[in-house]
Amino acid sequence: MYEAVTATPDGESTVRRFAATAARQGFEGIVVRNAAAVDPTFDATAVREAHDVDVVDATEIVADDPTGASGPLSEARRAHTVLCVRGGTPTLNRFAAEEERVDVLTRPMAGQGDVNHVIARAAADHDVRVEFDLGAVLRASGGPRVQALRGLRKLRELVEQYDVPYVVSGSPTSHLQVRAPRELRALGEAIGFDAAAIETGLAEWGVLAERNRRRRSADFIAPGLERGRHDTER
Amino acid sequence: MKHLPKHLRPRWRYLLVGIEAWPDAEVSRRDFQRSVWFAAQNLLGDATSADADLRVLSYEFDAGEGEAVVRARRGYVSEARAALACVDAVRDDPVGVHVRGVSGTVRAGEERYLGRARENSAEEAVVFRNATTRAVSRDGLVDVTVDGGFVGATRADLE
Repeated sequence: MYEAVTATPDGESTVRRFAATAARQGFEGIVVRNAAAVDPTFDATAVREAHDVDVVDATEIVADDPTGASGPLSEARRAHTVLCVRGGTPTLNRFAAEEERVDVLTRPMAGQGDVNHVIARAAADHDVRVEFDLGAVLRASGGPRVQALRGLRKLRELVEQYDVPYVVSGSPTSHLQVRAPRELRALGEAIGFDAAAIETGLAEWGVLAERNRRRRSADFIAPGLERGRHDTER
Repeated sequence: MKHLPKHLRPRWRYLLVGIEAWPDAEVSRRDFQRSVWFAAQNLLGDATSADADLRVLSYEFDAGEGEAVVRARRGYVSEARAALACVDAVRDDPVGVHVRGVSGTVRAGEERYLGRARENSAEEAVVFRNATTRAVSRDGLVDVTVDGGFVGATRADLE
């Protein structure tokens, strides 16, 4: 199971600290949402060896509208293992859901964001995962929390209806905000999720990282063109 | 009041909880108990939180790290976990809460999951992001003072 974290400078803890905390709480790995902003010389392999958790470099494109989001898309796709686009408005959500290159549509229900059957179906067709962000449930209270819960419920119903792939995260920005998988599962059950759904969602980050690493490996000569098993090195 | 005969007493489960905070945090037992109650009430509602009956039995906190035993009624462990996960701050100090284990007796739980306090924390001067600053370190984990707040780091992040 993986947790998608925001490390310093956007968050309050370094990737290594997140890795240490995640390892102690029983995660298999962390996905660094802002890998580009973190130290560019950052060595994920060293962290992997030191703390025995996987570190996935990801990027999250944050833009106001589809035009702003589509600009950095190709470059981000090339540079990072996992590519996320932050939703938050219906147009952005739709743009991200219809874009094959996007792996994850994050925070689709935050702010003005909304998801309808069109977006849900598009996400399922284009293999874009939608994110169930438990951050607001964990850390907000009162009205904003109620809104977050309402958003999660609507999203859950659409995801079940159209079989949309999904990921789950508690989106911590400091190591103090990391909650263990069992806690997230219990929380999910308390707010109406299946325990298994939460686990699948947390594990999906790992599945995604695995798939993308294979696609980016040397075995692929071009997209869709893979070196076969009879093809020996020359 | 005379206490109940054994077969009528409620059955409890004990959650052994690790607490983490920034080094300057003052998290008292009362405040932690209040936060747990509030979290349970806000998440589960009055009815379920009364059923779960969460109570902090023993509590220890010092220099940004602590441990607690939280009691819950048997059958409400999952609800208790969910409520504890939602404790994100005590007063204004952000805290990390991690359920290390659940046990049927306090003693077995304490022996098994608590008392792992890491070596004492030490304050020192460190170089972080090309600037010299103060930091509190404990067992390879370092909380660095940056612009009035803290950044969580490890020994390997320092230069």
